[in-house]
Amino acid sequence: MRLKARTLEALYALFLLLPFLFTLLVFFLYAFLRAAYFSFTDYDLFSPPRFVGVENYLRLFREPLFLTALKHTLAYSLVVTALQTLFALLLAIALNRPLKGITAFRTVYYLPSVISTAAASLLLLWLFQRTGLVNQGLSFLLAHLPHLLSLGLLFLAFQGAQVAWARRRGEGVAFFDPALALLSLPLALLATYALGLFGVIGAQEVRVEIPWLPTTATFLGIPYPLWAIILMNTYTTIPTFMVLFLAGLKGIPQSLYEAAALDGASPWVIFSRITVPLLRPVLFLVVTMGLIGTLQLFDQVLFVGGSGGAPLEATITLAYYVYGNVFPSGAAPRVGLASAAALFLAGLTLLVVLLQRRFGVSERGWAG
Amino acid sequence: MNPKEAARRRWARLAWIYGLLLAFGVFFVGPFLMGFLASLKANPLEWPFTLSFAQVRPKNWAAAFRLGGMGAGDPWLGGMRPGREVTLEVAYFSREAAPPELAATIPRRKPGAGMGAVFESPYAADYVRLTGPTLVARQPARLGQEEGYVYRYRLRIAYPGKGPYLERVPLDLEAPRGALLVEATLDPTRFERRGRVASWDNVAPGLLGYVFHNYVRAFRETRSLETGQSLFLRWTLNSLFLSLVKVLTTLVFASMAGYALARLRFPGRQALFLFMLFSMMVPGQVTFISNYLVLKDGIFGLSRLFGVETLLNTYAGLILSGLVGAGAVFIMKQFFESIPREVEEAALIDGATPLQTLFRIILPMSTPALGALSILTFQGTWNEFFWPFVVLTSPREIYTLPLGLLSFRNAYGQVGDWGLILAGGFFSMVPVLILFAAFQRYFVEGVSVGAVKE
Repeated sequence: MRLKARTLEALYALFLLLPFLFTLLVFFLYAFLRAAYFSFTDYDLFSPPRFVGVENYLRLFREPLFLTALKHTLAYSLVVTALQTLFALLLAIALNRPLKGITAFRTVYYLPSVISTAAASLLLLWLFQRTGLVNQGLSFLLAHLPHLLSLGLLFLAFQGAQVAWARRRGEGVAFFDPALALLSLPLALLATYALGLFGVIGAQEVRVEIPWLPTTATFLGIPYPLWAIILMNTYTTIPTFMVLFLAGLKGIPQSLYEAAALDGASPWVIFSRITVPLLRPVLFLVVTMGLIGTLQLFDQVLFVGGSGGAPLEATITLAYYVYGNVFPSGAAPRVGLASAAALFLAGLTLLVVLLQRRFGVSERGWAG
Repeated sequence: MNPKEAARRRWARLAWIYGLLLAFGVFFVGPFLMGFLASLKANPLEWPFTLSFAQVRPKNWAAAFRLGGMGAGDPWLGGMRPGREVTLEVAYFSREAAPPELAATIPRRKPGAGMGAVFESPYAADYVRLTGPTLVARQPARLGQEEGYVYRYRLRIAYPGKGPYLERVPLDLEAPRGALLVEATLDPTRFERRGRVASWDNVAPGLLGYVFHNYVRAFRETRSLETGQSLFLRWTLNSLFLSLVKVLTTLVFASMAGYALARLRFPGRQALFLFMLFSMMVPGQVTFISNYLVLKDGIFGLSRLFGVETLLNTYAGLILSGLVGAGAVFIMKQFFESIPREVEEAALIDGATPLQTLFRIILPMSTPALGALSILTFQGTWNEFFWPFVVLTSPREIYTLPLGLLSFRNAYGQVGDWGLILAGGFFSMVPVLILFAAFQRYFVEGVSVGAVKE
């Protein structure tokens, strides 16, 4: 008997899909359903699960540690997404020009985002030690505040003098004329150096020793160790999103910018009326990806905590809360509660995706 | 505005842009470069942070190379072997006309802290014989404003008789107050007791053993308690093995599944695709509980057919649970859809099966996509942390490199051995950095392809 062509094709498809279906069904669908089931039980890995209804979900919101984790996760997610989106966009706009050697720059910028979270976390730990490079950098800046101030003021003074001189000769130059500024900067640098040499301004004795990690102190309601993770992760993810923005910027017709330039539009108007609206699909995608990625923060919490590191209540996130309840040290596992927290996390993620679907443009826009 | 003026302005603007690009470059590479330099230092947390230190001076490179050759016949990794001898020269400045009394000792210093402290390696002090310091020269000299003399001493460290290979031979040199070390064959690792004691971690380090001493330590000091083998080396090989296997399974299975989704008609195709997209959005923290239990039971007891009780702490478990990711299938599906159908039609008319078409016609055309997928998969597996962390818990020999780095951090973080921790971190970046340097285009393109994956 000959199989009908349709059936044969479906059988071939089944064969080709078999390994994928195996992982998808066993390690995703089954796992997902089981987590949902566990979240309504009091399962503890040892005794058989007992149905408890929505008790776990209600209990979560009475657990101080869960509420801390939720607060941290939301704060971390929002701050990192905002920072990385903003800086990635600005960087992409700066890079979106036909310049010689631009590829080399892009490659270099991309470097921080190829390394593992483990290696990045080790670097973070070192950078944010009490005598680490971050505190040293801050100390240096604060110690040289007089120099920086004089550099800024002198730059403005030189620039102002040059612009005034040019305008007197009847040249219409903007205050931050690039050609004049290019002269003002080295002049200001030289003058500041000279002032330092003659002892008019001098470096102060400043030694910043912020204990970034072993502390529960907060800044703007976010603990210091979490700030350290925020800074580090913003830094490693900016390049990834910059690449997406660059792809999006390529899709904007150059003629629009030319027309705007003819109309004498200011850079801000061009940015807010042309670039941002036309980048909307990419912008939504970047924000969504940023939110989803940051909601799952786990590795860094583990690395930054631990011996001699940050206390858990200063860095705990939802993902860590889930893990910590399944494999607690020296206590009974609370799988039911952990599953409820995990599903809550999944719910947050799906909410973000749904919002993107609702308000953003579908992924057709970003492929570029 | 005259054209000359406009041109000048254009050039100036270009200069500003390049300046800005350079500043960004410093921002993105700076911390890495600083971290790498710090990983070479004896004290990575020194204040103030200096860019000029013993390990970056060519004079010391040459000396370390020579001393390593003298001590063990190995100018790269150094150490000392029986029957060999190392000579070292130091010069002290003193105002006194009488030579300063130096006291030299080979300290019994335990190598390392944390994991390294567990092992008793032979102490150099038990095997080598120190002769000197002997005064060999005295010259009048000036140091700044001060008049005085420079005294040169020679130290001879010999390893007579028979004995084990010594990885390192430390040396402490104590000088009286007023005597200042101004020159040494090899710059000391550190000064102790307000600069009166110059201390060498190893007087016969070899070039690599000197410049990359923290890296060499990372390999030497993390050893398995049972076998004494280097754990760090094992972790690296484990990660390499897992990443290569995962690349292989992903390439084969993602192409198969991607082709079926892109070209074959079967009931539920659209539903499967949507379900796949959904699976990419659910965080791993939801599924790991059940997956842990499934591996614990050996995938519903199936592994018992092969005589394996549980798949936890095995690579089989890790590989089977991640045979092919939805993101990889997505990438291949998108790629196959971009190939025009006409390519396959001739083959189909000749009666070729879908399998033949895929493996004979489509895949040979797909090298760019397969290349990108290989690199992304390798990078992803090499860097993966959460799931291996759940599956592989003991013994430490089976860790992957990121898990190893965590145990590193916990073993050495408490004592603040940051040189070792940084060295481990930087070493773990090497393969990915090499891949990145060679195929950076794929990385950058992969971001846009994998955009939905995250």
